[in-house]
Amino acid sequence: MSAVYLWLCERAGIDKIWETLFARKVPHAKGPAAWLYTLGSATLMIFTIQFITGALLAMSYAPSPDHAYDSVRFIDDHVLLGRLVHGLHHWGATFMVVLTALHMMRTYFMGAYKYPRELTWMVGVGLFLLVLGFSFTGYLLPWDQKAYWATVVGGNIAGQTPVFGPYISKIRLGGEDMGAATLTRFYAIHVLVLPALIAGAIGVHLFLVIWNGISETPKRAGKQVAP
Amino acid sequence: MSCCEGGSPQPETPEAIGRRAFLSRAAAVLGGLIGAVLAGVGLGYFISPALRKKVGSWVDLGRAGSFKPGAPVLVEYTQRKRDSWITSESRSSAWVVTENGKDFTAFDPRCTHLGCPFRWHAEEKKFLCPCHTASFDINGKVLGGPPPRPLDRYETKLENGQLLILPKKQEHA
Repeated sequence: MSAVYLWLCERAGIDKIWETLFARKVPHAKGPAAWLYTLGSATLMIFTIQFITGALLAMSYAPSPDHAYDSVRFIDDHVLLGRLVHGLHHWGATFMVVLTALHMMRTYFMGAYKYPRELTWMVGVGLFLLVLGFSFTGYLLPWDQKAYWATVVGGNIAGQTPVFGPYISKIRLGGEDMGAATLTRFYAIHVLVLPALIAGAIGVHLFLVIWNGISETPKRAGKQVAP
Repeated sequence: MSCCEGGSPQPETPEAIGRRAFLSRAAAVLGGLIGAVLAGVGLGYFISPALRKKVGSWVDLGRAGSFKPGAPVLVEYTQRKRDSWITSESRSSAWVVTENGKDFTAFDPRCTHLGCPFRWHAEEKKFLCPCHTASFDINGKVLGGPPPRPLDRYETKLENGQLLILPKKQEHA
């Protein structure tokens, strides 16, 4: 044990924090079923990558119709490792949605959302919606043809809402039509609003995971499962 | 601390590395590797402005043979400037001087005193600035008036018979 470690243990109790977070008891799962328990951690890992690569991309991105496309091209062609960082963020976005959905399905089919973990599930549903929000707002930012028209279509779908449709559409676009205000609006939501919300929700979600522990793999009918 | 596989306790193997120790070490090594690669990529991206070479853009002023020896001319040109992802065009000019048709000199068209545009006076064979009566010879040397230094020069080169110059940004306006 190094002196620094002991110093930190005495002052911040990092040994106890480590014990609580990582040395806790987990269900004994065997075979392929054990891998299903890694989906949540995998999602958290991808989120971390998205956070880092996103912060880097924002350093060379201009959320204005005049420059958005050119600034993305600049990242790809002129920034060292820019294409890789952009690629990581692009593919990470897809994996984020896929992994969140798989994690959610694992929880559903194993019945892990039941008592006493209902709140974890509810916050998880909120997290899933936030991920979709990231996905939708981030899709517009490259400001190429695909981004533009995908957002137009998405907007038209939201605009079909009875009674409130036109208002929703205007709020979402920041005006009558898609343009400069739409891009800044989406950018602000993507890099400021959603990260703040998701950071809080992830905190609550992880706290509940630790607090309640991980549920056991369901057994065949007739056998009792510890909650 | 032996792990229980199917309920039967495994014997301790003190000389060999245990399963638990192996796995936690493997996780630390793999995690460290992934972390190091990610950190390296992020760091490279972040510090890339410091590694980028400054590329000045050479401007084509036309055929070198079209300049008459001993007769300075003011050449106007369009310069494209790149500022990261923004490209802008600006009109500028430079005085081109050649004594023999082979060696060329290009002068910044602003007087080194306060930046006024000077003119070539063919009869007196001098560059004259109208603002404070500064005068320079054909090589840019100060002949009279308040300028603190000779005329500023741009780098020149010949390529396939074309005269190219590398205009510099002026620190002194």
